[in-house]
Amino acid sequence: MMKRIVGAALLALSPVLLAPVSAADFSEGSQAKNWPLKGREKAKFKAKVVDAVCHLSGDCPADCGGGTRQMALVREADGVFLLAMKNLQGQFQGANFDLAPFCGQVVEVDGLMVGDDPKLGGKLYQTQFINGEKAFGFTKPWKARNLEAGKKKGAWFRNDPHINERIEKTGFLGLGLETDGEFIAEELE
Amino acid sequence: MKKLFFAAAFALGGSGAMAAQGEPIEVTGEIIDTWCYFSGVMGDTDAVVGSAHHTCALWCSAGGIPVGILTEDGTVYMVVKWEGNASVADGVALLDIQSHTLTAKGTTYVRDGINYIFVEDVVADQGIVNQNHEDFGFIPSGPVLKTIKGKLGQ
Repeated sequence: MMKRIVGAALLALSPVLLAPVSAADFSEGSQAKNWPLKGREKAKFKAKVVDAVCHLSGDCPADCGGGTRQMALVREADGVFLLAMKNLQGQFQGANFDLAPFCGQVVEVDGLMVGDDPKLGGKLYQTQFINGEKAFGFTKPWKARNLEAGKKKGAWFRNDPHINERIEKTGFLGLGLETDGEFIAEELE
Repeated sequence: MKKLFFAAAFALGGSGAMAAQGEPIEVTGEIIDTWCYFSGVMGDTDAVVGSAHHTCALWCSAGGIPVGILTEDGTVYMVVKWEGNASVADGVALLDIQSHTLTAKGTTYVRDGINYIFVEDVVADQGIVNQNHEDFGFIPSGPVLKTIKGKLGQ
């Protein structure tokens, strides 16, 4: 009996699941900060925390990859799948390490739906708050993974050894040190 | 009854049981930072790609922001797996291909209007083809130039 109910539910849902993200308004009660982003809409809602590979293919580690996989949210109200693009920190940090500790759990997130590119058939999501707490979760695990760099003063992205290794090899433009040197000289004139 | 439908889908969504067959695909395009590209936070789309934006792309990829493949017709595929590795947000996995134009084979999924790709094989890597730094300078100029000056001891 239960199998039939679930089967019928999924069958009935299929048009909903295949439809583009709805224009539903989730702004009520949102305290999200209004970053100047294209197509922004405040959105506070309950969602299940998943990793994208798990949701799409069924390859599901218990910890959602511990922050190393791209995380996503399945919105409770309508089942919409939203890729978590960014957290609340202002220095190039994603939201994976913020969300992974909640793998498989239902949380209340607050943030911004983002994007209005005509080639984008749905919205992306900036997670600013999780269960009322600021999504500031990138730095601590970054320091744990980069013990020496984490002790240095300054922004993480200027101290990250993996980034610096690439820049030392191919420059800030990625085109080699010769091209880099000539262009930097022009820019600093 | 409506609640039951959503409850069923929602419960399955978290377990991975929503997984469905993807479609095989071969795609050619530029590896981009999708946050800067779609949010407009650093400027127009022409400026937040290529060599002009290469350093920022490194920063964002290392920060775990989703990387995408931007094709010639403007379609973007969100990369969630790369040559068998699902840990694409570990801060290292995708650094060496930032801003490159490449051809990849894999599997694509479409969910709620967004394209996702599991890249299985890189067929060709042309390196950085989009050399737009003469047009735009460094993007974002302030943070990149500050970093450069710091390295030069200025």
